[in-house]
Amino acid sequence: MTIVRKPTAEGIARPVLAALIGIALLAAVAGGLQRTGMSLGTSSPAGAALAQHAALMLSGLLGTVIAVERAVAVKRRWAFVAPWASALGSAALLVGLPAAGAWAGALAAAVFVGASVIVLARQVALHSVVLLLGAVAWLVGNLLFALGVHAPLILPWWFAFIVLTIAAERLEMARLMRHHPAVQVALMAILVAVLAGAAGTGRWPTLAGALFGGGLSALALWLLAFDVARRTVRSHGLSRYMAISLLAGYVWLAVAGLAWVGTAFGCPGRDWALHALGLGFIFSMVMGHAPVILPAVARTRLVFGIWFYAPLLLLHASLLVRLPGSLIDPSWRALGAMLNAAAMGLFVLTLLASVLARRDAKRG
Amino acid sequence: MTSLPFAFDGPPELSGPMLSALSRVVDPELSLSIVDVGLVYGVSVTEGEVRVRVTMTSAACPVIDVIVEDIELELDRLLPAGTGIVVELCWEPPWTPQMMSERARRFMQG
Repeated sequence: MTIVRKPTAEGIARPVLAALIGIALLAAVAGGLQRTGMSLGTSSPAGAALAQHAALMLSGLLGTVIAVERAVAVKRRWAFVAPWASALGSAALLVGLPAAGAWAGALAAAVFVGASVIVLARQVALHSVVLLLGAVAWLVGNLLFALGVHAPLILPWWFAFIVLTIAAERLEMARLMRHHPAVQVALMAILVAVLAGAAGTGRWPTLAGALFGGGLSALALWLLAFDVARRTVRSHGLSRYMAISLLAGYVWLAVAGLAWVGTAFGCPGRDWALHALGLGFIFSMVMGHAPVILPAVARTRLVFGIWFYAPLLLLHASLLVRLPGSLIDPSWRALGAMLNAAAMGLFVLTLLASVLARRDAKRG
Repeated sequence: MTSLPFAFDGPPELSGPMLSALSRVVDPELSLSIVDVGLVYGVSVTEGEVRVRVTMTSAACPVIDVIVEDIELELDRLLPAGTGIVVELCWEPPWTPQMMSERARRFMQG
């Protein structure tokens, strides 16, 4: 096959999609800050951001970004329906059209499953199967959301979508380390536990929560033991930065799994379960990969430098303030959440500055 | 003629520079060149055109286009102006870890 370099989202479409992704991020962060006590007024979008925090963050933002990545990879025009439907769906949630927004999300995930089938057909491999399972988890979560199912039953599916997507990518990379085949079997057993936990949450919440959380912690141990980041952390530059963001994320994943098990048995720690996972693991992963993925999906280049460590450090430090810090003083949770938001803002600025620096360097 | 880790069909004097150019294309996460990872399957040079067959470790990776662009940039620097450069993405045979160079294996084994 010869690569035909066509624009992936031509003309005005790409900035519009980028703007919708930016709005989803802002709204998701605004919703999160309100949940930790910050007042952002009584406007309708602020209320929607508060109510739809998880949908905006996990499906509207991360789902859209992952769907862009998949569409760019499969190079099929129809695959871009997934990120567009997801991004427009999250905008609809914000302007008071929750049903339209939720069903647009379901359409997005259905198209995304189709794109993941293309990946599997192109490369029949275990990691392609895991990617497809992740896509199906997003579809299940979005269908449950559209059908108005209670949020605690949806969250494990949305998290499973992202966790399986990351696990698939790490499994694919782990082949370079030429592990014993039993290592792959162990990962599949862990992912089955995660999916079973998500599926069983409604019927057997304690057992399912323990399975889901146990699966997350086991996945963290698997990644710490077998991921290529163990090797690339000894490298330099971007490669080392990515490895550090991954390894730090794995530690939070282990914490999130334990907290998830604890909450399944009635212990407090819901903020630990959700945000050690969502921010500590998933956002650390996003920060690690963005310098590589952004140039690929946005058809731009950037300058990587040591300054990328600033938002990464702030993200992890702010989580320490928010989670263990709240044990010292409960008010630190809100402070930590504000610093979480600052870390994300700083990261977006870092990315933009790095793209502009590259353009300046090219002109010079 | 330089011993090459991929099939080469073209003027022998071009094989060494071609290996050097392709070795400058690096997988950003691994800090390893695409030659070391074993992603280059073959190069054929004909009148006015260079054709490079490469694979990727993942069909779902959006960075494929960036790597292909980097290959084109490196070959563009090497070859005379006006030479056509075609990068073909192949999924057969599938990439396996056995295709990695000894250097890459040593790096990955720690």
